Amino acid sequence: MSLLAADARAFVAAARKELRMWRRYPLFILGLLFWPIVLPATWVLMGQAYSGGGDARALAAFAERAGTTEFAGFVFVGYAMYMWLSNLLWGPGTALRQEQIRGSLEAVFLTPTSRLVALFAPPISHLPFSLLNFVTMGLTLWLVFGIVLPLGPVLEAMVVIAIGIPSMYAIGSLFAASVLRFGETGPIVQLVRGTFVLACGITFPLVMLPGWAQAGAALLPPTYIVADIRTVLFRGVGLGGIAIDLVLLLAFAGLITLLAVWVFRILETSARRRGTLGSY
Amino acid sequence: MGELLAELRAGLAIARKHVVTMTRYRVAMISMIFIPLYQGVIPAFLFGAAFAVGGRSLGLASSIGTDNLAGFIFLGGVVSGMIATAFWGMAMSLRNEQDAGTLEPSWLTPSTHETFVIGRAIGGSVLFLLTQIALFAIGMLFFGLRFDIGILRAIPAVLLALLSMVGVAYVLAALVLLLKEANFFIDATNYLFSIASGTAFPVTLLPGVFQPVALALPTTYAMDLLRHDAIGTRTLFDPVVEYVVLIALTAIAYPLGRWVFARADHVMRVRGTVAQY
Amino acid sequence: MTATAAEPAVDARGLVKVFERGRRTFWQRLRGEPDRRERFHAVDGIDLRVERGEIFGLLGPNGAGKTTTMKMLATLLIPTSGTISVLGIDVLARPRDVRARLGAMLSGERSLYWKLTARENLEYFAALYHVPPRQTRARIDDALTSVKLLDRADDYVERYSTGMRQRLALARALLPDPPLVILDEPTVGLDPQAARDLRARVRELRSQGRTVLLTTHYMEEADQLCDRVAIIDHGRIVALDTPGALKRTIRAEEVVRLEIGLADDGAAVLERLGRSATVARSERHNGTLAVTAHCASARDFVPAAFDAARSAGATIQHVEVVPVTLEDVFISLTGRALRE
Repeated sequence: MSLLAADARAFVAAARKELRMWRRYPLFILGLLFWPIVLPATWVLMGQAYSGGGDARALAAFAERAGTTEFAGFVFVGYAMYMWLSNLLWGPGTALRQEQIRGSLEAVFLTPTSRLVALFAPPISHLPFSLLNFVTMGLTLWLVFGIVLPLGPVLEAMVVIAIGIPSMYAIGSLFAASVLRFGETGPIVQLVRGTFVLACGITFPLVMLPGWAQAGAALLPPTYIVADIRTVLFRGVGLGGIAIDLVLLLAFAGLITLLAVWVFRILETSARRRGTLGSY
Repeated sequence: MGELLAELRAGLAIARKHVVTMTRYRVAMISMIFIPLYQGVIPAFLFGAAFAVGGRSLGLASSIGTDNLAGFIFLGGVVSGMIATAFWGMAMSLRNEQDAGTLEPSWLTPSTHETFVIGRAIGGSVLFLLTQIALFAIGMLFFGLRFDIGILRAIPAVLLALLSMVGVAYVLAALVLLLKEANFFIDATNYLFSIASGTAFPVTLLPGVFQPVALALPTTYAMDLLRHDAIGTRTLFDPVVEYVVLIALTAIAYPLGRWVFARADHVMRVRGTVAQY
Repeated sequence: MTATAAEPAVDARGLVKVFERGRRTFWQRLRGEPDRRERFHAVDGIDLRVERGEIFGLLGPNGAGKTTTMKMLATLLIPTSGTISVLGIDVLARPRDVRARLGAMLSGERSLYWKLTARENLEYFAALYHVPPRQTRARIDDALTSVKLLDRADDYVERYSTGMRQRLALARALLPDPPLVILDEPTVGLDPQAARDLRARVRELRSQGRTVLLTTHYMEEADQLCDRVAIIDHGRIVALDTPGALKRTIRAEEVVRLEIGLADDGAAVLERLGRSATVARSERHNGTLAVTAHCASARDFVPAAFDAARSAGATIQHVEVVPVTLEDVFISLTGRALRE
């Protein structure tokens, strides 16, 4: 029990260290405000160009595929997921790799703390940033595009997000474990994020994808989170209508966590055997 | 004359090294094509197609005068690729050398420091061209991309814009060599520059305050002329007027950029930051 | 061409470099607030004349102003005041002409492209140095041969050891076939064997008729390698001569280092020791007094030292008799050791 308590303390310390490091980069904070506004705003204006400034036939065609004519809201929800994924992959996802390069991973592994702490603590620190993103984007949608979201559906969307957190968190850990193997993290982040962007209906309705890609998308938790948030916000469907999705999300969380632990164990053992824990 | 020839060889060596180093990072090579595909082209195409009625982009046609969605998007990719080349390939890569420690030995050679921007402009343009060829091939194979033969008429506009972007790159290089945290600066300004040039949507849709900015950018006119010649979009102004403005802006941007760069070089030599950060 | 063989390789007069620490924000400038930045004199009035064909060393501790001086010579830094001419060319007026005749190795292994091979690195820099294309291959082979890297020329630099990278950086400095080579701390971070190797290469440069100006904070390096040495501290030259002449400025034949265990502040012992030798330096550390004394003969001084300690109630724990080194010259000039 005392060992568990010690690990828990180490866990908190590791997460706090991660947050403190971000504090050192003031421009990162500026980026937290800049991108969540500018990126989706661009896509809303693209939507205006594609819809001919709100041509009724074009909007009807969009609604048939996306379930809503509210393409600004549609885009903002998609980008909320994009920012969430970005925070997850750029920040904690690569933190482990950074520690490996700096050699501090070796130092962590020399302590009696469970090695899984190194894997699972950093992703915690992305949560405040992602929450800040959601708030910024909601405010932009309201103040810049005049779209007021009713309180009830917003609360339901928050429930969807809360249920989605464990599975997103597990994705962050799985990614972190995998990058220990790769030399360059930047391009890997781009590849992984790119796959999510294309597969999960971030900026376009999922039905636009070919059938095989839609089947692949069904295996990715962000697909469900994005679709369910849009459903409760713009289609007036309650949580009851998406209950199956929510159960699926929790199941995903468990599966991916196990996968992350397994991958991490394999890589850690091979790194210890080959002595590459501190090198790259 | 011999001096100029030696300087030209130095510029080509820089260009060659720029390309060779890039090819040594395999994943980076792939992402040069993949990033524009996943961040811009494919999602934009699918988003745009979601507004199509009976297979025709009626909305787009009423916005710009043609329903050639793929053409609109891929040509936007040409200009935004050119802008990214100037921001990242010409300017930021100098800063990366400063961080890595290789700028100092370069600055110790008798080559003029401007040559380092020019060499990158040449190397960056080669990579830009290869990327565009790959993207166009993908566009034609999978997205039904097609152009009028008139696209050839736009080549002077694209070349002028490229030249003016070298001028812009001088200014950017000057800034990133002096700024402490350059990454976010380049990332954000690159994006805004690209958007304000009309690569993603017509600049007429920009909020009023940004319109003058858009009209001050040479790439706005190159974008407009390129789309007009290649897919028959409506232009902002008379094409002749646009050419005149484009030439004028290039004539200003290039010498201004050189001057700012020379100033930054001087400041670095006073502060002693060639090897620092 | 204004350079002639008669002119010195380097002639610097009244060289000063002042750096400003901290920042003056845009608002402070706009409001016209007084400039409160701290000014730091990295180089504080240096006069330096390096003759052709010699190996000249700048010896001093870290932060003494050696690197700043080198960077001003190499045109990377603009001096606050003073004049420099390199091979008879004014550095401020014609920086590119200076760079064309100067081989410089400043920051060592970080200054190479690790993703390129040694040969690719040198091909690149040969173009930047304006080496004529017809001579490039021969020039690169010569440079690689002279640093003994020819057999590894086609390996990526990332696979090199630190010593090999340092040698490759030296090879790059030789590409323009420079009459003057400047080396900033060339052996820092090298293991003893690699450092010996590099010093041998530097001696060869002199035998090829080149002038070498180097900085170091290793006194053995300055002693073994240099024809003349300038000792630099706090941005000023405090002594300049051949290593032998510098050592002779210490009026002593031998240097005795003592460690004395004592209970008091040691003033009494020092006073007694001072009667039979010059105490160049003393430092108290955890009940031990470390003393460096210059004397005419250790045979006379050591027994006297034991007597002095005993009568002051202290005990001598360790005695070391060494010949005079440049370190002692530095200590006698500044009261501090080189590595402090």
